[in-house]
Amino acid sequence: MQYFEDIQPGAVREIGATTLTEEAIIAFAKQFDPQPFHIDPVAAKNSAFGGIIASGWHTAATVMRLIVDSAIELEASLGSPGFDDLAWLKPVRPGDTIRARMTCIDKTPSRSRPGIGSARFLIETFNQNDELVMRFTSIGIMRFRIPAKH
Amino acid sequence: MKYLEDFSVGQVMEFPPRTVSEDEIIAFARDYDPQPFHLDKEAAKQSLFGGLCASGWHTAGMMMRMLVDHMIGKYASMGSPGIDQLRWVKPVFPGDTLHLRGEVLEVKFSQSKPDRGVITTRYEMTNQTGETVLTMQGKGMYARRPAQG
Repeated sequence: MQYFEDIQPGAVREIGATTLTEEAIIAFAKQFDPQPFHIDPVAAKNSAFGGIIASGWHTAATVMRLIVDSAIELEASLGSPGFDDLAWLKPVRPGDTIRARMTCIDKTPSRSRPGIGSARFLIETFNQNDELVMRFTSIGIMRFRIPAKH
Repeated sequence: MKYLEDFSVGQVMEFPPRTVSEDEIIAFARDYDPQPFHLDKEAAKQSLFGGLCASGWHTAGMMMRMLVDHMIGKYASMGSPGIDQLRWVKPVFPGDTLHLRGEVLEVKFSQSKPDRGVITTRYEMTNQTGETVLTMQGKGMYARRPAQG
């Protein structure tokens, strides 16, 4: 998320990648999503997933980190009101390396707050085999580079 | 253990509240969302939020923990296909106490996989002064009760 003026609908950014270790998957899940198939290797083996898988929230938070590290202009970003249509399509397993593709859908200047706008991005997450594992539409709020122009 | 059949449309669920500390907010943000307004008190004062606030993904994670502890963990959960909509309505600040309420909107038995089905639920999280901080509509997959042998 750059400054509002810099955002181009249709523009695509490739982001990442990072590898999720079993240790990190279990640590996240123990804190936020302690279901057996996220924290217990034996129970996970006997589950429908056949082994430990990452909490979907862990995958999403990891993608957030990739975006903050490489695609957010910290001076420009004003946070996010939310997201739509998040789908966890395939499990993320220990050792998987995930990357993201961020495609700008559209952008809208704020009518009530001069110097601020929002943009929607399709965030697709792939594993090392280029399989789509997660997808969602994110909304970002950002500053104008030059507030006076608005 | 409870199963898909134990959910009913209109069922309302209330969850015990949870308070979030500044240390937790900063620890989460360091790992997953290192933007200044989640990490740095001074920088956060200058931001639109007016003070250090939790990453929205942290708030979502805390909600998930409330759900697993008091609902999902008591049922035969098979994970989630996804979230229809999530809104971070207001910032969550250190010391805030989060209350969660959910309502089951739909219970759908799978046509193709007779051992399972999906529920759609709407959640609202409020803070200690009753302001809505988060809303979410999401799906959960659950096993059906096994046939009695």
